[in-house]
Amino acid sequence: MKTLLILLGLVAMATADCGGLARLKVKQQWNRAFGEGTEREAFGTALWNVVFHKAPKARELFKRVKGDNVYSPEFQAHSQRVLGGLDMSISLLDDSATLNAQLAHLNMQHKERAIDAAYFAGFKEALLEVVPATLGRCFDQDAWSACFDVISGGINA
Amino acid sequence: RGQSTAAESRCTLPRKMLTLFVVLALAGGALADNCCSAEDRREVVRAWEDIWSAQFTGRRVAVAQAVFANLFASHPEAKALFKRVNVDDSDSAEFKAHCIRVVNGLDLAINLLAQPQNLDAQLDHLSKQHAARDGIKADHFHFIAKSFAEVMPQVTSCFNSDAWTRCFDRIADGIAAGLP
Repeated sequence: MKTLLILLGLVAMATADCGGLARLKVKQQWNRAFGEGTEREAFGTALWNVVFHKAPKARELFKRVKGDNVYSPEFQAHSQRVLGGLDMSISLLDDSATLNAQLAHLNMQHKERAIDAAYFAGFKEALLEVVPATLGRCFDQDAWSACFDVISGGINA
Repeated sequence: RGQSTAAESRCTLPRKMLTLFVVLALAGGALADNCCSAEDRREVVRAWEDIWSAQFTGRRVAVAQAVFANLFASHPEAKALFKRVNVDDSDSAEFKAHCIRVVNGLDLAINLLAQPQNLDAQLDHLSKQHAARDGIKADHFHFIAKSFAEVMPQVTSCFNSDAWTRCFDRIADGIAAGLP
């Protein structure tokens, strides 16, 4: 019986989806990582530095907001808008109807800009590196991966 | 740190002028300064953090719905501006999502109060977003400022109205700057 439970546990871990409990966990970890005031600025700067390190060409998408200098006020404000969008989506993970209305709004905003799916994947990779760096430990990568896919799937549908 | 912003220069008067101010203030009793000071910002961030709830949206929606209800009660004509987000059903997913975006925009600005240059870049963005929507006037931001000032003390403990108003005006003025 014990072996069976462990086996079942392993299966569950391997196929982690963004279930109700995983959503609660991501919310808590996001809350700690996002912080407030100037912490958010540092978090955003770290995130975008990783994004552009992984995908230097992505900077071209952000010409309008001075993507060539992540420390410029224009890009810092942009960075906080993106984090704000992510924050809204994560905090709505427990309210599907409103979450879908919000993702439809973000979808519309991104559609105009024709963003390659590879960039969403790059953003996810960066997020999954920077969030645990902020938390130190106690990061559930599977829950984050699955729940980020729910959000980016809606934005990039 | 580069050039100072308009808001900073409003807050840091030249020394000579400051002396004059002190004299005037002493003469006039209380000559209120309407700039959002560092102390004000701390008060505002504290009050905001108390109700913000970084994990869930329930409180954000409740506060925004109350603010809009207050706004529409005194300015019913403003309701027409929100047709696109299903304002007639304030419990609809579309309107709730809109409420969350508004509160999020304010949260973003409040958290940028300590970084004036970044705040100005963000307010400029919001100003352009609002200018693109027909019918939005600079005055609307004074109306909604009043609604926030009336709702916030109902939901936050030990609310500092003066600090809130000075900092909210700093934000609202920035958005209203590009509007008719």
